[in-house]
Amino acid sequence: MNKRLGLVIDQERCIGCEACTVACKIENNSTSHWIQVETLNVTQKDTPSGKFPDLKMEWLPRLCNHCSNPPCVGVCPNEALVKREDGPVVLIEENCDGCQACLNACPYNVIHFNEQNNIIEKCHLCVHRIDKGLEPFCVICCEGQAIYFGDLNDPNSVVSLKIASREAFQLKSEAGTNPSIYYCPPKPRRRL
Amino acid sequence: MTEENEIKLIRTACPAHCGIDACGILAHVKGGRIIKLEPAEFPDKRDRRICLRGLSSLDITYHPDRLKYPMKRVGERGEGKFERISWDEAYEIIVRKFKEIADKYGWRSIGWVLGGPGAGTTKFGAYLRIASLTQSTRVSAWGYGDAGLPCGSRVIFGSQFPYMYLFGKFWQKKWPELLVVWGANPGESMPLQTMRKIMDAKENGTQVIVIDTRFTVTASKADEFLGLKPGTDSSLALGLMNVIFQNELHNIDFIREHTNGPYLVRGDNGKLLRGRDIGNKKTDSYIIWEETSNSPQPVRRKNLQSASITGNFEVNGIECKPSFQLLKDLAQKYPPETVAEITGVDSKLIIKLSKKLGTTKNVTFFTYMGFTRTYHGDISLRGLCSVASVTGHVDTSFSSGYLPAVLNWDPFLKAIPNEPSFHRLGILNLYEAVISGKPYPIKALWFAFINFLNQCVDYNKIINDFYPKLDLIVQTELFMTPSARYADLLLPVCSFLEFSDFVSHPYPYVQLQQKIIEPLYESKSDINIVAGLAEKLGYGGYFNGGEEGMIDIIMNHSSLEGYNRETLSKGAMLLRELPEGGNFPLNFRTPSRKIELYAEQLVEDGQALPVYLPPIEAPITPEETKYPLTFIQGHSRFRTHSMFSNVKSLLELNSEPIVEINSIDAKARDISDNELVTVFNDRARTTLKARISDSVRPGVVNITEGWWIDQFKEGSVNHLTHDIINPVQNKIYEPNMHMNDVAVEIIKFVEGK
Repeated sequence: MNKRLGLVIDQERCIGCEACTVACKIENNSTSHWIQVETLNVTQKDTPSGKFPDLKMEWLPRLCNHCSNPPCVGVCPNEALVKREDGPVVLIEENCDGCQACLNACPYNVIHFNEQNNIIEKCHLCVHRIDKGLEPFCVICCEGQAIYFGDLNDPNSVVSLKIASREAFQLKSEAGTNPSIYYCPPKPRRRL
Repeated sequence: MTEENEIKLIRTACPAHCGIDACGILAHVKGGRIIKLEPAEFPDKRDRRICLRGLSSLDITYHPDRLKYPMKRVGERGEGKFERISWDEAYEIIVRKFKEIADKYGWRSIGWVLGGPGAGTTKFGAYLRIASLTQSTRVSAWGYGDAGLPCGSRVIFGSQFPYMYLFGKFWQKKWPELLVVWGANPGESMPLQTMRKIMDAKENGTQVIVIDTRFTVTASKADEFLGLKPGTDSSLALGLMNVIFQNELHNIDFIREHTNGPYLVRGDNGKLLRGRDIGNKKTDSYIIWEETSNSPQPVRRKNLQSASITGNFEVNGIECKPSFQLLKDLAQKYPPETVAEITGVDSKLIIKLSKKLGTTKNVTFFTYMGFTRTYHGDISLRGLCSVASVTGHVDTSFSSGYLPAVLNWDPFLKAIPNEPSFHRLGILNLYEAVISGKPYPIKALWFAFINFLNQCVDYNKIINDFYPKLDLIVQTELFMTPSARYADLLLPVCSFLEFSDFVSHPYPYVQLQQKIIEPLYESKSDINIVAGLAEKLGYGGYFNGGEEGMIDIIMNHSSLEGYNRETLSKGAMLLRELPEGGNFPLNFRTPSRKIELYAEQLVEDGQALPVYLPPIEAPITPEETKYPLTFIQGHSRFRTHSMFSNVKSLLELNSEPIVEINSIDAKARDISDNELVTVFNDRARTTLKARISDSVRPGVVNITEGWWIDQFKEGSVNHLTHDIINPVQNKIYEPNMHMNDVAVEIIKFVEGK
């Protein structure tokens, strides 16, 4: 069986710091932020929902979901987006003509347009690192140690074990894309 | 590969002022240029760490605005007009001015204002050494926010910091059943060394309580959040003790053994009863009421467990009570309903937390400096520590773990043995010394790693009364900061990637901050700048070897035997482990050598007990005041104090200052989100955008500290703050700046007003 490389992001440990956002941009020298950390249920980042003192503040880092059935790959007229056998959806830059069909096809809004070079850009799961046996840069830079990387097809991998133990979910699972990015929800509070 | 294309990997450590996080950094260097930074390995893989600021460090090192060469001011102070000079000229001017001032006023009129060195050590040490050699004045920076905690800790524990007693075991990864984070936000200010551990503990079953005036990142991870009014912490502490005592949940054995709770206090003058008062030949001994003999006796190790900690006794005609009884009497006045009114915390929560503290075997309290930035912050800390002490949740010894590194500070604090060293002034005392010449005049100041005008209280006072009294201002800086503009001589300092230092963090490691590249342009490290000056002053021999020489000196201590620059260049090293079966006692260096629930030294001040005294400005009854809102300054993850304020990669995510205001307060003032507003009091006005957020409680507004003055439309955080000195803090240690004890009002901004 092929590998299905992906991430599990634990919202219980995410502190919304955006180190992943900064790390990713530096590592990939990108023009936009490929990982964006959303504060849930509010319009302004880093503000809680509710009324003082009954409040909640939760974060959700959003990035390419490396879907098993990636709509972006299907709509690209130039075969610039490729789903690798081991999971990552990657861009072949020289094939991209900047048509942006993929931006509209992506249900997650995580493909960005690089105006400087007239091509699209997105998270590729740091294939330049994982091909050398390293973890994606966001994983090693996560302040909360909230991001886990591994093979979702291996039932004993750290990611599979997290998913099995924590009611992990995928974003927009109804879209049929079967993302390779999973999220563990925050645990319920143990009130006094 | 040719040498030019070869990538060299060099390990260093980030000494930014988050201090104890002290991330190990691995730099990738190609052709003399650093092309990448990544988190370096630690012996324990889980300790590998970096933060968003550390990741952005190259944006500082290669920032286009770096100061490139020494400059002297040619325009008015503050105008920002400078002219390039050589290092020799700079030194020549400084030495000439120093000598003129020293001839007229003495060397003590020359002061060194040093910021916190973060995790750095010898860059701070170098300045202490030159101050010591010249017998000039070291201005302590504790008072710029960090003196309140030592004041409280010195009184109750006899120690500069309360940390090892409260959460030393937590840093050794021993998870408690209950963790109480009080007035601290490690989620943003200490994400790696502390917040990670809090989340590890939580995963292992620890219940986490956060007590704060803001709903912080840390609070968002809590099982329970108690949101209280600023500056009311000591009343909450008394409320908790009220319930604990009512329900007999205090730890009597611990109180007898480790606190001065059993010691009898005289009813007539509040002093502790001594042997001489009862005609005992142990004249200085503290006296307890021994239950077995039903008589007053000098305290001995043996009779402690039969000491009364409550009751009312007559000794030689003097009414006496054990000091614990006095604490109990005080707590009696703070039932949960009263405390709920003072603090704004639901009384049911106060009762539940008290019972939990009294019935849980293993509790850890966590707090830090920010907790004590109100006028009576030292008492807040004593309140917290009293709660921890009466429930027995204070560590008095370690039986395992790693022995802390002790650094060889002596040669820096006292460069020539048996000779006088530097004079010392607290930073708030410096205001008076400069402005009024008391206790002696200060005429020249050298600022290093401190953005003084930006970060210290009362901007207008500094501009109008302070700077004009100085004959010479020297500053070492990386950038043209708001403070740098006021320097007469501006010396370019290098970033941490361009010099070496010894870093004694993060526990349980020590690290080397290793120079990665040569200093850019004409910049130098603070250490080499001082060494150059010392040379001109005839003290060159004390700085032999520059950075490396200083590191060798500070590491010259038996606790660091076997650790040196060579061994540390390869990676972080674990501290020495406490031997099996060993016991490392955590002594209390108070006058009684006990935890002082009752501080005899503060009887005259009415603060022998951790009394609740209202804040000095923060309005407790807002309806009665002109300025009904309390202004506080939280920390932002985007900056380390005022460092990183000008960094592109972080400004992309957090572009400008905002003031957080609760939805109720915003509505009452017809303020909408993102609207420009003016925050003001009698001292100044500050204009910036509003952020409506229930992260602050009603009656509180927050602007994160560190934004540079020019990043505000008008004013800045420290335009609004005050320099009021707390005389008790002045007496115990040194006075703190009370940045979170400031009253303001907010209105919509009106152009031209």
